[in-house]
Amino acid sequence: MLMKLRFLYFLVFAPICLFSQVRFVKDTIQSQGDSVVVTATRSERKLSNVTVPVTIINAKSIQQIGALRLTDILKEQPGLSMTSGFGAGVQLQGLNPDYTIILINGEPLVGRTAGVLDLNRIALGNIKKIEIVKGPSSSLYGSEAMAGVINIITDATNKTPLQSSLRYGTYNTIDAGLNNTLASKSILYQGYYNYYSTDGYSIRPSTASRVTTPITRVATNQQFKYNLSNNTNVRVGMRFTNEQIKNELSVTNGGLTINSNGEEKNTDYNIASSLNHRFSNSLKTSFRSYITQYNATQNLLTISGAPYTDILDHVFNRLENQTDWVVNKKLTAIVGGGAVMEGVKSSRYDSEKIRKTNTNQYAFSQWEWTHNAKLILIGGIRFDQNQTYASAWSPKASMLYKINKQHRIRLSIGQGFKAPDFRQLYLNFTNAAAGSYSVFGTAQAQKVIGQLNILGQIGTLYNNFYQLKSLQPEYATGTHLTWEFEPNAKNNFSFQLFRNDIRNLIEVQQVGAYITGAQIYSYLNIGRAFTTGFEIEAKHQISKEFSISTAYQYLQTGDKDQIAQIKNGIVYTRDANGLSRKLNVSEYVGLPNNSTHKAQLKFNYSNQNGLFGNIRALYRSKWAVNNTNGNEVFDDGDSFAEGYIALHLSIGKDYMNGLGFQFGCDNMLNYIDALNLPNLPGRTFFATLKIQKSKKI
Amino acid sequence: MRQILKTSLLLLTLSSILFSCTKDETTVALPVTAITVSNLPADTVLGINKITGRPFSAGKYTFFSLERNAIVPNTDSASTQWDLAFAGSKILTNGGTSGTGLGGAFIYTGLFDDVKTISNDSVFKTDNAPASFAVTFGSGKGWYVYDQLTSLITPLAGRVLVIRTASGKYAKVEIINYYKGGVTLPITASDSDKLSKQRYYTFRYAYQPNGSKTF
Repeated sequence: MLMKLRFLYFLVFAPICLFSQVRFVKDTIQSQGDSVVVTATRSERKLSNVTVPVTIINAKSIQQIGALRLTDILKEQPGLSMTSGFGAGVQLQGLNPDYTIILINGEPLVGRTAGVLDLNRIALGNIKKIEIVKGPSSSLYGSEAMAGVINIITDATNKTPLQSSLRYGTYNTIDAGLNNTLASKSILYQGYYNYYSTDGYSIRPSTASRVTTPITRVATNQQFKYNLSNNTNVRVGMRFTNEQIKNELSVTNGGLTINSNGEEKNTDYNIASSLNHRFSNSLKTSFRSYITQYNATQNLLTISGAPYTDILDHVFNRLENQTDWVVNKKLTAIVGGGAVMEGVKSSRYDSEKIRKTNTNQYAFSQWEWTHNAKLILIGGIRFDQNQTYASAWSPKASMLYKINKQHRIRLSIGQGFKAPDFRQLYLNFTNAAAGSYSVFGTAQAQKVIGQLNILGQIGTLYNNFYQLKSLQPEYATGTHLTWEFEPNAKNNFSFQLFRNDIRNLIEVQQVGAYITGAQIYSYLNIGRAFTTGFEIEAKHQISKEFSISTAYQYLQTGDKDQIAQIKNGIVYTRDANGLSRKLNVSEYVGLPNNSTHKAQLKFNYSNQNGLFGNIRALYRSKWAVNNTNGNEVFDDGDSFAEGYIALHLSIGKDYMNGLGFQFGCDNMLNYIDALNLPNLPGRTFFATLKIQKSKKI
Repeated sequence: MRQILKTSLLLLTLSSILFSCTKDETTVALPVTAITVSNLPADTVLGINKITGRPFSAGKYTFFSLERNAIVPNTDSASTQWDLAFAGSKILTNGGTSGTGLGGAFIYTGLFDDVKTISNDSVFKTDNAPASFAVTFGSGKGWYVYDQLTSLITPLAGRVLVIRTASGKYAKVEIINYYKGGVTLPITASDSDKLSKQRYYTFRYAYQPNGSKTF
């Protein structure tokens, strides 16, 4: 596969190189409204001058599709899909939610459950834009930025003094938002408040438990900017969210059904402050501090009266400096460094009262060379030094080549990493409800199991128990090659090849057994995997009002060790008569939850009088969900979720006097798959009323 | 270990072929034919206990003779008439704590047809209730996996139960299915179907009556 890709690269590249030598075209690439992006280089750059693939979602498109939560908008982006265990996480180019870092104004969100950050936590009401960088970006952002970066940028410079909206929809879903801005010469204040509640829904027949449980969320975001002088300013941003979820669970295990009910409460706050100073036009620096905490508490009471409590409390504090230096006309540098103090308390560790802590120091540097109007080269590297796991180097190199007015090539090669998380280091969990198996994090596994052994509780220890050692980060090497073609202002087209090779994957492995036979698990760096494919995007402006856009992604994934096992003939399946036979490599489908084909088609209408409408069709082909035949690899004989199309519609009108209406229908075809798509309710409707005071300030 | 096992199997097979070729017309062992047993009930579910919510059954094993390809009456449970006993997903051999015979077993990973000769260094385990069983009990440990999400039992592909019978002869068994009619129910099947149609074994086996370890 890699060979194939290399060949493709060559095919795409060779003619372009030849072509570029014979033609010299003045660089005039200036797309209309060339956007400014910050995530790709940690500094403001025009999108047309960025060397890595970046997608921008602006406030207008968020509003026009009627998206409320971050999940609503991300699920409609090419190359992204949503997962449904432990909330709604995002999967980027076939890599699981743990491998994408989610930033708010450049600062990371914390509070992952089993590696998944529930993106329903983030309200979109005051968002200016969302930037998505695909490909390893650890050279700038460190751990988790292995598949890519999603940066949510809130609107601190909103010139609208007062905006409010009220939305009502199916399942008694209410969303109310208020955004106000106050500004003087030196002070800018912006406050955002959001309330969301829903009754939830049950799409499984004959069950009381709801797929989406009744939930109430409140969120606020306060931002201050104070200009101390023309060259110095202070910014403070505070975010707080709280969600309360009613749980009515019904768990069936071995024919025994246990009903329980209770409440889940998740709170999340963060405070980001920065002092920014510009020494001259060529030198500026920024000191930032970031404090965040996420607390999740689940209190359940089973019908028999037995209580169950699950607590997770994560704090993350960071101090950082970044200095931007324009060395000369051609060379720009960014140098930065910082320190992180992180800690987690959990009822699944040995003691829920003691916070497990970890510190990380890092330094990064990036150099940007503008060779001429056509060629930009960037090289960067970051070093992360950690207290509890091995340190990591993250290099990255990228380039942009503007062949001529119409064609651009971007190429990036980088290494990303993901640090072992607290659960992999400190978990100390015995599941009394399911056979009393235990899982121990590597920081303690040998000690704890050793003690149990002295007490005579251990039956067997496997060879890999003696191989347990301090975990290494997981690494990925990613290559992205993008060709963009913009024949004129009305049409644009892009084609991207990508390949990610992941090594050192941390996997749960049985390392021994109790004398009772119950399993003992821990974590080892053993897995190797890859994701590869291509993405095509095209947009056409039919008329001043109408536009059409389409995108397609082809994706192949796989576990390299499993492929080797299949080739060695030690993986089995059954033939049509139920008799065992060896599995063929062609029957292997790769990693679960990944669709080979994803496509979308969107029509958009928007006129000068404020009338807008859109219809969006999103298709996803079948994906493997469950290894039903028990051979430990996903193949044609396993269970799949069927491919489907989701069709969404939204229409609205914004009046000059600040009044606005919007109506929408999501999932018009009423596609339901209760088992595999619990986050997709049937057809739902909504109506929104907006009022804004549009006086200029 | 697996490699050694494979190699030794291969060597044994080769040598037996060579042997039979050189001493023409003196081959004793006729190739044994595989027999398929369908819908063998194994302590099927009778209903659900209204108080505990758990399914219940008669709690009785189905005894089976590989030699005679027949069910053995429960009255003969203390004899060497039977070779295998089935109840739910549990399979007993007639030996150790389970019976008075010479029975034992081990689970071979590979294909049914690839078990041509049992190598001499193969270790047959015997039942040692409740700690361990010759046919290992439990999801993923022996011959099946149980999916908690769908409540379905699926026999693992590429597993052969190599059996020593009550009388000390050898057989190989491949479990094909666990549901009535020999077809695993779809995941969308009703809970009551999943309960009432389970515990019906379909399996194929080859029994070597001459006491040799070659099939």
